[in-house]
Amino acid sequence: MEIVEKAKMPVVAPLDQSVMARIRRIPTAYIALWVIALICVVALLSFMGFSLCQYSFDQTSSDFLAGPSGQHWMGTDELGRDLFSRIVYGARLSIAIGLTTAAVAFVIGTLYGALSGYLGGKVDTFMMRGVDIAYSLPDLLVMILIGVLLGRGTIGILIALGLVSWMGTARLVRAQFLQLKNEEFIEAARAQGQSGWNIVFKHLLPNALGPIIVALTFTVPSAILSESTLSFIGLGLSPPACSWGTLASDGWRSLRAHPHLIFFPSLFIFITVLSFNFLGDGLRDALDPRTRLGKKSR
Amino acid sequence: MRNIGDHRFLISEFAKRLGHCFLAVLLLISVLSLSACIRPRSRFEPGVLRVNLGTEPPGLDWHTATDSTSFDVVSNLMVGLTQYTNKLTCAPSCAKNWEVLDGGKRYLFHLRDDLRWTDGKPVTAYDFEYAWKRLLNPVTAAQYAFFLYDVVGAREYNTGKLKSAETLGIKALDAHTFEIRLRKPATYFIYLTAFCVSFPMRKDVVEKWGDRWTEPEHFVTNGPFKLTKWQHEYKMELAANEGYFDSVPQVKLIKMFMVPEASTAFALYENDELDFIDNRSFATPDVERYRNSPEYKNFPLLRANYLAFNVTKKPFTDVRIRKAVAMAIDRSIFPRILRRGERPATSWIPPALPGYSPDSGLKFDPVAARALLAEAGYPGGKGLPKPELLYPNRDDVRLTVEATQDQLKRNLGMEIELVNQEWKVYLATVRKDAPPMFRNSWGADFPDPETFMNLFTKDCGNNDTKWSDPRYDALIEAAQGELNAAKRADLYRQADVMLCREAVPIVPTFLATQNIMVKPWVTGIAINPLDLQFFKDVVVDDSQNSQTKYGAR
Amino acid sequence: MFALIVKRILLAIPVLLVVASLTFVLVRIVPGGPFDADKNLPPEIIANLNAKYHLDKPVPEQYLLYLGRLAQGDLGVSYKYVNRTVNDILADAFPVSLQLGTISLTLAVLIGVPLGAIAAVCRGRKEDVIAMFLSTLGISVPGFVIGATLIFVFAIKLRVLPVGLWESPWHVVLPAVTLAFSPAAYLARLTRASVLEIVEKDWVRTARSKGLSQWNTVLKHILRNSLIPVVTVLGPLTAIVITGSFVVEYIYAIPGMGRFFITAVMNRDYDLILGTTLVFAVLLIIANTFVDLAYQFLDPRMRIED
Repeated sequence: MEIVEKAKMPVVAPLDQSVMARIRRIPTAYIALWVIALICVVALLSFMGFSLCQYSFDQTSSDFLAGPSGQHWMGTDELGRDLFSRIVYGARLSIAIGLTTAAVAFVIGTLYGALSGYLGGKVDTFMMRGVDIAYSLPDLLVMILIGVLLGRGTIGILIALGLVSWMGTARLVRAQFLQLKNEEFIEAARAQGQSGWNIVFKHLLPNALGPIIVALTFTVPSAILSESTLSFIGLGLSPPACSWGTLASDGWRSLRAHPHLIFFPSLFIFITVLSFNFLGDGLRDALDPRTRLGKKSR
Repeated sequence: MRNIGDHRFLISEFAKRLGHCFLAVLLLISVLSLSACIRPRSRFEPGVLRVNLGTEPPGLDWHTATDSTSFDVVSNLMVGLTQYTNKLTCAPSCAKNWEVLDGGKRYLFHLRDDLRWTDGKPVTAYDFEYAWKRLLNPVTAAQYAFFLYDVVGAREYNTGKLKSAETLGIKALDAHTFEIRLRKPATYFIYLTAFCVSFPMRKDVVEKWGDRWTEPEHFVTNGPFKLTKWQHEYKMELAANEGYFDSVPQVKLIKMFMVPEASTAFALYENDELDFIDNRSFATPDVERYRNSPEYKNFPLLRANYLAFNVTKKPFTDVRIRKAVAMAIDRSIFPRILRRGERPATSWIPPALPGYSPDSGLKFDPVAARALLAEAGYPGGKGLPKPELLYPNRDDVRLTVEATQDQLKRNLGMEIELVNQEWKVYLATVRKDAPPMFRNSWGADFPDPETFMNLFTKDCGNNDTKWSDPRYDALIEAAQGELNAAKRADLYRQADVMLCREAVPIVPTFLATQNIMVKPWVTGIAINPLDLQFFKDVVVDDSQNSQTKYGAR
Repeated sequence: MFALIVKRILLAIPVLLVVASLTFVLVRIVPGGPFDADKNLPPEIIANLNAKYHLDKPVPEQYLLYLGRLAQGDLGVSYKYVNRTVNDILADAFPVSLQLGTISLTLAVLIGVPLGAIAAVCRGRKEDVIAMFLSTLGISVPGFVIGATLIFVFAIKLRVLPVGLWESPWHVVLPAVTLAFSPAAYLARLTRASVLEIVEKDWVRTARSKGLSQWNTVLKHILRNSLIPVVTVLGPLTAIVITGSFVVEYIYAIPGMGRFFITAVMNRDYDLILGTTLVFAVLLIIANTFVDLAYQFLDPRMRIED
């Protein structure tokens, strides 16, 4: 337990007021934070059953494939369903998919990579071969299998995407650790007789956090996109449930005949990804101990 | 201060260099693209037909192939004893005529004597005998061997119970006479002699080259075209066979591309890189944009889509609920959402075949449907369990099941859960333990009601509804052996009523269509309801001065 | 360095063995077999087919048979593409994918690295925002949408490039660009992050303060050090390109391995799935070995420990 406490310390520490203050000073990151918050709130509200628009996401009408109008802000699909309400509904799945996958990738990847990079030697070689193996197994096959074993639907897809996306983070963390562990301040910590856990979580991890966070802001969008690729090859969510990914993959053939079907889902994916990127940049600056120290000392 | 100034300068210098580098790359790309403009293009080449197969034919050995892509190619490379006319009757081909003897249990085919293989050797009855016996040989492991199971000894030989092929009812009496003996009369048998699996085969070629005998350098065929090039998973080239006994095709070369994505294939057609496309190259939105084009045509197919129940699973153990579902679906929704001219269907036998009657099935009647559901104990759908509807994940199928879900909810108050599975998983699930409802389709193998009706007999391996009825089986068996066409049609009609009006293990939904687009310089493309495409009568010609007629774009 | 290469080759063997074994098991757990089809076959015929391909034997025996053949370099036969061996199929498809993948990766580096560096150097200015906007576009738009858009603009509207197929060098342009989008965006973001990191380092500040004469050294150092993360992601980049190739080869009708892999999985073509997986695994191992070698070259501090 004590270890966990210690482990949490440095990660939590930077999230104090100075971080928020710094983020507030970076307009792109600040706006991004609000956009993400807004999307999350919408997703949460729709999840809790608040109806945010006048149509339900699976309500059909005879108004097939109508373009955007006052009545249907973003038009309707092949079954006459309102695209705006489908996008609102899709937000929760897309956001859930993105965040869960990133969380899984962060936890598994960081632990695995940190262990491998810090311990080094034979353990490192062995663990990296494990990553090689995990990398080499076809994602598609793993996802079909998990889909079958856990039943189709959202949970299966969440777990499947999480399981195929931690390897990148692991490799990155390990590389950072290999690079950092020979630096002077680590030597110093070691000379002071600090414990391995201390060195890993208090010194190595906070210094490696920048690239990890940048990588994580990538995992969120790439998970949203992977899910759309899954739909593209016919392994996506069960209708009428939909996410931005399934909406995009259902609509892309209509690029010329009904561009609204592909434009709006893509637009929302784009806005979300853009926000995560800007937020990631902001966080990176705010969390980086070096830049922070530099700021304070000035 | 000085540092900062330097800093700015350095950075802008750095940025400038990188910027130049970046611009150079962009420039290179645009130059590449622009120079591509200079490529001269002609809209077509006279005598060359470019089509899209969609996927690689899994194999051209017509004993081991089972899919329509392979058969589309084989149908143009080979001819059998008979061949289909576009009205789907069997016309003489290799056989100049035939006799039906012993009350329909013995067939005697008389072959033409001017038949030649592409290597110049004559086509004989022995080639047919070899081919049919090879098809049934367990070592060949032919998936479609069961098509010949009506032949004496065929099933036993194919399943290894009979060791020797000597006693099979397949015999070449001489080089030009081929005799077949059947277990029982089967009126549809003649259709099988036009089907790919029954084409002749050259023993010497097959045995010499083994598994590679269908590669262009070894392949020996007897049809209007011959295979000259096969770039796997990309392109096939078929050249006219100058030695073909019938009229030599006017098209000198067919290029068959394998473009899997419909919208890409469609764009290729728009850019004059394909001359003819069909469903494989149509994404639904494209059909819509070209519906009024003179290049667009639409043909009915013998492919029926249906909703099936597993009659052993609640709530569909109750026939009233099955009937209610059948009456609660307004089939006119399907052509409106699929937009390919689909024809709504309520009976299992399609209109083009004997035995069809518009009154065999249950019509759309939401009031009666709700009454039936109430009678079954679920007024307004209250208390009804939420059954699963399983379907394979494909764009058009997804739309149809979503529409079905919506119809049942609206007209019956019945909620169903849609479950999609990847194709193979779907097949395995349906075979092993079908869910309460699943969506399926069936394409005719030959133009006879038998190919549809046989599906729901007790012993049919494709009957996944778990429904069977000895009376139905007896009707089908009687129809199989009935030689009088009118009586036979009536037997099938009775069975159809039993299937679609009384027991309702399935709900027919609609019949698929073939949508094609043909460039104005191509004539003679014929589509028949079995979806077999013959290119031997096609003409690709610029004799009418393409420049003025088609204009330059 | 030579020793390292030898060592990695030796280590690759057990990795490949595990990959082969796991995939072997996975394909057999996933429901649906190679001969499940639209039209159900009589059990006798399924038995004939299974006998032909040794699928009637117990799985452990199938496994040993497979390993035996694998040891001889025989990847087996395809069940779906009748009469073709997996070796044949891969020999045809691999060069195509390799060509496409290499061109895309080069394109991605040529676009992504400068874009990221510009963004870092002009941090917070409009160049930065534009660059990040572009890179976000690259990773947030699915490959099939990019492909469809490029086809629409360049092939149908402008008619300057072919829609698809694999005939002339012109046919490579659109697929390669489509495939390069996502890795280029990834690289741009990574380069930006690492260049920023380097620019803030003390020795760079020192070098800067010494004045203009040091400029070239700085440039060299910045590039060299920021290259490390770029090289690190070569493994993941290869993976991205491989995954992307599934979609791109499908959309542009290119006869490459990505397309074969998808159809093989859909068809449960066991040996072809295994063969393709092994080739992908070898590619990834090569990429990762290269990464480790490059580490040593770029940053001698990071010796690979024994």
